[in-house]
Amino acid sequence: MPTWDQRSPIYQQLADQLAARLLDGEFCEGDALPSVRALAGLYMINPLTVSRALQALDEDGLLDNRRGLGFFVRPGARGRLRSMARARFLQDEWPPLRARLIRLGLRPQDLNWENP
Amino acid sequence: MSDALIRATALSLDYGRKRALDDLSFAIPPGRVVGLLGHNGAGKTSLMRALVGMASFSGGLQVLGQDPRRDRVALLEQLAYIPDVAILPRWARVGELVTLMAGMHPKFSAERARTLLRRTSVGLNDKVKTLSRGMVVQAHLALVAAIDARLMILDEPTLGLDLLSRKAFYEMLIEEWCDGERSVLVSTHQVEEVENLLSDVLMLNEGQLVLAISLQDLEQRFVALSHDPSVADAMAAAHPLLRYRVQGGSAALFDGAPPPEVQALGQRLRPSLADLFVALTRRPEINRPNRANGDQGA
Repeated sequence: MPTWDQRSPIYQQLADQLAARLLDGEFCEGDALPSVRALAGLYMINPLTVSRALQALDEDGLLDNRRGLGFFVRPGARGRLRSMARARFLQDEWPPLRARLIRLGLRPQDLNWENP
Repeated sequence: MSDALIRATALSLDYGRKRALDDLSFAIPPGRVVGLLGHNGAGKTSLMRALVGMASFSGGLQVLGQDPRRDRVALLEQLAYIPDVAILPRWARVGELVTLMAGMHPKFSAERARTLLRRTSVGLNDKVKTLSRGMVVQAHLALVAAIDARLMILDEPTLGLDLLSRKAFYEMLIEEWCDGERSVLVSTHQVEEVENLLSDVLMLNEGQLVLAISLQDLEQRFVALSHDPSVADAMAAAHPLLRYRVQGGSAALFDGAPPPEVQALGQRLRPSLADLFVALTRRPEINRPNRANGDQGA
């Protein structure tokens, strides 16, 4: 059973997990997502919680809710997701990271940009 | 919520002079997964027996629009129920039970039961006495979930099962029963395990309903704050329901938001149902220090 942390609502954590799977290419654009009930069974959470997570992804423009058929991955969803993740990184993660790099005196040429 | 599947109004139940259920009022609408939580002896089984017309009570109670006292037979045809003492006949083969149910229950679908059984490792030719405990419970769920009903009542269905069997049980329940219209009322004291499956919770403590709330409302009403041990005194002074330990520190649980200056001392956490259960229910021996003798309830 997956574990959920206590800091944020479960629907949010599920939305993040599904977004990560989407970004990894596990769901392709145009594909149907598993049904609410299947996801609820898989993650062992209430179907209403699953619906809220899918709703949140729908509101972000990543999914398309086709009545009676379920949720589908929108064309361009991965690009959109990546640009959202980039914006979040630049806004939230980069400033403290930059501050730390400056404090340590590390320049871009000191960092390894190759694959490990 | 006029279309509630269950509506209790000032429901009480006595065993002789012992009050088992005390003035309960609540409603269960369609499409919910409701957890009935309480320690042993809190009244969970008494409530479920009242709901299916197997125990007499006072006050108002409507189940699927019927009075369980008067319309018990009609009611039992419309709901799926696994009592806490559920057993399947040991000598029977599972396929024979499907045939038996088809002859007995007007709303039972043998085809649906066979489809559900195919999810499990139980075969139609297996005799009940050869099945493990987990498999018997799975078979039982497959049988009652094949009843075309709007309400399922499960009394401690996973008691004594190992983790994998419990997971398989709840998976089948969620995937095969919960369709957004039907509701299920399930009693348990394994709170952590069902917490995320539930849409609502009813919490009983010594026959009284100490909490009846949706999980969504619960997250609004109760505030949990993780905090540094150095501000523990300030937290305690704000009268939390419960103080407990979390990974990397302490936490306090409040009913309603504490003052902003207290909130500023901690980081807000999602309140856990298990912590609330501890805070709102006490074991009888702690609750009744002066009544140690007699009073051995049913």
